[in-house]
Amino acid sequence: MSEAAALRRFVLDTLVDVGAAVSEADSLVWVQVPEKVRSDLEVPATFAITFDPDRIGNFEAELVAPGSYFLERIVSLAARRGRWDVARFEARAGDWVGESLSECGLGPETGVHFETLEIEETALPLLSFRVTLISDEKREHFHFIAVCPAAGSAWEVDPAMADSGLIAAPDAGVPPDLETAYRLGTEKLRERSRDAVGRFRAASLQLLEEEVRRIFGYFDRTTEEIQAADPNGSQDLLRAIRGERDRRLTETLERFDPKARASLCAIRAIRTPMARVRLRFLSGAPIEGTLDAWSRHLNGLSCEVCHGTEGPWKPQGSGRIRCVRCAPTQVESARPRGRPRSDTPRRRRQDGRGSGRSPRGSRARFRAASGRRRGP
Amino acid sequence: MSLSSAEATPSADAALSLQFDESDADLLARAFRSPGDGPQAWRLNGEAHRMSLVDGFDRLLAWPSLRGVGRYPHQERTCVRVLREMHGRAILADEVGLGKTVEAGLILKEYAIRGLVRRALILTPASLTGQWREEMESKFDLGFAVLRSVRDWEHRPLLIASIDKAKRGPHRAAAQQRPWDLVIVDEAHRLKNRLSVNWRFVASLSKKYMLLLTATPVQNDLDELFNLVSLLKPGALHTYDRFVERYVGSADGRVPAHVPELRDRLRDVMVRHRRGIAFTLPPRRVHSLPVRLSPAERRLYDDVTDFVRDAYWSASGRMSWAARLTLIVLQREIGSSTFAVATTLGRLAQSPLFGAAERDRLGALQRDAAAITSNVKAIHLLGFLRSSDEKALVFTQYLRTLQYLQGVLERDGYRVVVYHGSLPPAAKDAAVRAFREDRQIFLSTEAGGEGRNLQFARTVVNYDLPWNPLRIEQRIGRVHRLGQDREVHVVNLWAQDTVEAYLMELLDRKIHMFELVVGELDLILGTLDERRSFEDMMMEIWTLRQAEERRAALRRLGDALVRARDEYDVMRERNEEVLREVSEEVPA
Repeated sequence: MSEAAALRRFVLDTLVDVGAAVSEADSLVWVQVPEKVRSDLEVPATFAITFDPDRIGNFEAELVAPGSYFLERIVSLAARRGRWDVARFEARAGDWVGESLSECGLGPETGVHFETLEIEETALPLLSFRVTLISDEKREHFHFIAVCPAAGSAWEVDPAMADSGLIAAPDAGVPPDLETAYRLGTEKLRERSRDAVGRFRAASLQLLEEEVRRIFGYFDRTTEEIQAADPNGSQDLLRAIRGERDRRLTETLERFDPKARASLCAIRAIRTPMARVRLRFLSGAPIEGTLDAWSRHLNGLSCEVCHGTEGPWKPQGSGRIRCVRCAPTQVESARPRGRPRSDTPRRRRQDGRGSGRSPRGSRARFRAASGRRRGP
Repeated sequence: MSLSSAEATPSADAALSLQFDESDADLLARAFRSPGDGPQAWRLNGEAHRMSLVDGFDRLLAWPSLRGVGRYPHQERTCVRVLREMHGRAILADEVGLGKTVEAGLILKEYAIRGLVRRALILTPASLTGQWREEMESKFDLGFAVLRSVRDWEHRPLLIASIDKAKRGPHRAAAQQRPWDLVIVDEAHRLKNRLSVNWRFVASLSKKYMLLLTATPVQNDLDELFNLVSLLKPGALHTYDRFVERYVGSADGRVPAHVPELRDRLRDVMVRHRRGIAFTLPPRRVHSLPVRLSPAERRLYDDVTDFVRDAYWSASGRMSWAARLTLIVLQREIGSSTFAVATTLGRLAQSPLFGAAERDRLGALQRDAAAITSNVKAIHLLGFLRSSDEKALVFTQYLRTLQYLQGVLERDGYRVVVYHGSLPPAAKDAAVRAFREDRQIFLSTEAGGEGRNLQFARTVVNYDLPWNPLRIEQRIGRVHRLGQDREVHVVNLWAQDTVEAYLMELLDRKIHMFELVVGELDLILGTLDERRSFEDMMMEIWTLRQAEERRAALRRLGDALVRARDEYDVMRERNEEVLREVSEEVPA
């Protein structure tokens, strides 16, 4: 869907969702809004909007486009609504546990066997966060973090998943443990944002340092030049120059001082079947974990190298396990010790399948993992 | 107390960690305690956030919401450079007519959309405050207020102020008290001297981003360029002594040295575009049509003028500001038509602003005006229109004159469309469409199509002349703008021995205003008296009682305008000479 089409759909959906009657005619959209949202939108009971700049003013139609005041108001209204919701996920018939484990890289071909100990419905909180990095520019990101308070784990969810395959469940009952969910969710978000925040900070500090160096250089050398020209000159002038320098420095600090903020936008409690499974490897002790049917995220494993808790996984023998990012590829395993890595980019296999490495992104990794299993 | 370098830089060891919003606790406390707004509202919440995410300045966001702004690549490039490379501190030094105001507005809008600018101050010459307010409102949908009282500094986050007013008395302290996200200084060559009150005032403002707009950053010598750059980025051109030693190649300070290096340094802080062939507007051809008033019109004109002069210099000293303004309106209306002045005369004949004797005079004048059923100027207008088959925009300042002309033109068989401030927006759109399609005459008041594209026509008729020359230029600018590829005809109708004749003397014969490029007039008028508007100056001359005094005052003002025009020409050449190397030509 094009950006313009997505914007149009968002605006019309929001208006309808707040109870407005919407009708379209000749590039204009006529809107009748209920009393309760008129002041939020700063509109009369009936008004026209247009997405076409050439039609602004026709019947006093307000333009809706990025940067327009109407869009700002409707975005603000939509962001104040829908801040919590309950939805239910119903697992497909069949062996969803086995399928999910295969997607996690723990299919039977890896020698891992599993036993389902129990399946019960659980409420997983899904938290959405907006991250804002700000100095003299602004960069923002949006994240969905799912949390399993019972397992003490949190993981990032692909935005496309946050609303797919779910059905409304307004009367689903007991709310999840939000305090714990929030704590785990914010910890995960900090971890996921660390690199981006670090890069942003480094860039801001570099600019700040350049500015500070330039300001000091300019004012200090100016002072020296004045003193050299007239050693008995006015001290008041020099004080004034130093005062101006300090004022400029303060201004510069305020301008380039990097800040990183995050806010919780909304919470969705997703009721989903959750399986408690016991995994048996070719050797070593069995591991117990939990697996939900909705995100198919396996809790309870930890990579022996990075200690990450997000798969997909690759058993290493003797009950050891690594995430695919830390697991050596076949080439690396075969490479004699001490030999430097090759800089040559990996070539695709002739059969069109990629190398052993998974693509980035949890959803993509799931797809890649299951694709490999289904291959010839 | 002074800062040290270490104090001025945040510790490199201090890690930056995410700070979570305090309002999160509020959501956690409220969530699930009552039914939610439903799954659709939850989905839309996510979309609202994702849709409004800002990712640096990777792309410009403001264009779709701008109104009546042509999209020119050089403006887009300027905006991107200022945002990404100059970090919001720049001298916008394009030649006149290339759209510095639009560039500044665009940069401001980009910041505003991202929430990086909430408080913005525009400092301009007094004569341009209204124009800036209108442009920000009509093109960028930014509701700026023009500074009226000292309370505005606190209560108006988007403020336009005359720099001369802002730098004085209580305004100065109030302006300095709060930090500004963005400060825009128009006609920034007024900051050429670092010892001036103007320069020190702007330097003393606390601001994050700053744009200095000037087509002529160098007026006398390169020192001025140094002073402008030092306002934005002290040290960008070294210290003053080093700057002179390295980059000034002549004793008079006008010849640059080490030009490639200077150019590189200026590129970090200044954008300057030259008008390429593609951006050279076609010429204007001016037609001056002097009119001899009919005896009845002449008598009325002289009688109204006598009344205005008597009342303006009334010895009683009770003349209020409102009454003076009324007199100016009266004098302007009689210059437009007898129909325009008749209504006002009738109203003033009942007004408590004037004494009984004056009200009697006004009543008599009203009766004289009402007795005149046609104006000679309208006959001249028809004469001109019959000489051409082209579509024409006919401007007048007054609705009553517009209504009279509509009747005259329609009776003569012209297909006329009217356009004025009282029309609802839909009717205005319809009027422009009708003119584009099959109407011959676009008959308009001052509201004549602000920001609308009317370049398909090329003839502008000034049926009357506003005393503010910038208004005249705005009228011409409706058709003489980027996109116009044919010669433009400007027709001025004016009656002999009237204020309008004085205006023509000053603007046409003295400074050839009608041949100037849009924007040049601002620079010329800007060098005149800062505290009084051009209209005030005209009124003061016109109300002098003795004809000889009037002629002498007119001559003085004319001489001042000629000097201003000459100075402008010299300045333009000097800038071209000094800055040629740092300018980029706007390509086709």
